[in-house]
Amino acid sequence: MDSQTKFIYNQINLPFNPKPPTLMHIDLNSCFATIEQQANPLLRGRPIAVVAYDSPRGCILAPSIEAKKMGVKTGMQVREGKLLCPSLQTLEPDPWKYRNIHIQLRDLISQYTTCFSPKSIDEFILDLEGFPSFKLGMHQIGLEIKQKIKAQIGEWLTVSIGIGPNRFLAKLAANLKKPDGLEEINQKNYQQIYQKLSLIDLNGIKTASAIRLNNAGIYSINDFYNSTIDQLQSAFESILGYYWYLRLRGWEIDDVDFGRKSFGNMYSLPKIISTPEGISPILHKLVEKCSFRMRRAGYSARGVHVALLYKDHSFWHHGSVNHEPLFSASDIYKYAYRIMVSSPYRKPVANISVSLFDLTKSNFSQLDLFNEISKKIKLTSAIDKINEKWGNFVITPAMMIGTQNNVVDRVAFGNIKELEQFICTE
Amino acid sequence: MHLKVDVPVSVIFVYEPNGAKVFPLKVRWDGRVYTITKVGLHHHFRVGRVLHHVFSVVSDETFFRLNLNTDNLSWRLEEVSDGLPD
Repeated sequence: MDSQTKFIYNQINLPFNPKPPTLMHIDLNSCFATIEQQANPLLRGRPIAVVAYDSPRGCILAPSIEAKKMGVKTGMQVREGKLLCPSLQTLEPDPWKYRNIHIQLRDLISQYTTCFSPKSIDEFILDLEGFPSFKLGMHQIGLEIKQKIKAQIGEWLTVSIGIGPNRFLAKLAANLKKPDGLEEINQKNYQQIYQKLSLIDLNGIKTASAIRLNNAGIYSINDFYNSTIDQLQSAFESILGYYWYLRLRGWEIDDVDFGRKSFGNMYSLPKIISTPEGISPILHKLVEKCSFRMRRAGYSARGVHVALLYKDHSFWHHGSVNHEPLFSASDIYKYAYRIMVSSPYRKPVANISVSLFDLTKSNFSQLDLFNEISKKIKLTSAIDKINEKWGNFVITPAMMIGTQNNVVDRVAFGNIKELEQFICTE
Repeated sequence: MHLKVDVPVSVIFVYEPNGAKVFPLKVRWDGRVYTITKVGLHHHFRVGRVLHHVFSVVSDETFFRLNLNTDNLSWRLEEVSDGLPD
């Protein structure tokens, strides 16, 4: 930071944002598990968990509220969960159930404001500033949304709602009481709330960041709040210090829409495979899936990245950029296979992922001059149309034979860009 | 006990114009007729262009997942459960 910028930063002494809170964060509690309990009333009030794979080493994606009370947490293995809670019932994910509920929530929210954005499959942020519904009062709107969710979507579903002057504090408020909370952070109560929380309760501050702050003499949120921009810049050694200065004071800094940067698919192998020949059908299916999604969104990619996580927990990855954009699955597969075999290791693989990056919006008509490319585009487009009409993978490369039960449909926790595309095409 | 199945079943289906509600009323499976007492969730998805409606329903102590294929108007039973761990 140059001395002039440093001087300007030191002159800034912002108070807590005095504007009335207009941001609302809505978080569907224990999303996947609660939706399963909504679907099957016999599971209500029982400890259940939605798991990636229903096997002892399968990962718990979402424990129900009852399972959480028994100590079961997201990220645990099924066997660990069952040790804590022997009556734990496990279910594999049913993505379309969750997507349908997400769309219904979205429809409900749009009755109050058009200025909202889904942050994940189970989280929405609403800005009610300037909308007629704001006259009802933020608290009243929160209560109404809760009631309507129960009446119109599902009586077992509960949401935690947070109200704040910016996105960050609205989310923090939503985390204050789970499940079924309705909390607000404003100019009057922020100090009281900050006093009750620790640094790692803040969304975005994990142990490593907390250590950085501790090293700068910041041990509590109140210390964090009272630090100057200069102190925070030094602690984070980046512009992040300035962002945190604004966030904690209720000023907006997170109203950023990150565009699509890549398309990727990942798969945990159910059995040990060490050879490239053994892994290649799975690699092919991963490429088919992510390239289909990419083409449907109207992109081609120059970059291909392959990552391998081995059974011994070591990791290898490599990405490479082609001089021409790639769009057909067969070309991308050849490229990805070359990357995969360049790994110096021949160890048992536990997990494989492929991502396509360096995206460009495709304008295939410009390429029509080149006959070969034109043929390839037509063929790829015809295959995509058949798969769209009759379901994915009706036409598949012979290489993918035997992978019917691999790389099944999954719903991402954070990224819901795909869902946005689905909503647009419905 | 949670059982994944995939069998055709007979379903009596009701359309209620007040509030435009649709729901399965009875299902015949394994030689027995079950009266649906509650619809937990109704959701839909597409396989290719074919729209499927899924009704997650309960008849007393038995849960059924019923799938209506809107292309050939056939019903299939996909899951049965008593809500207890296996």
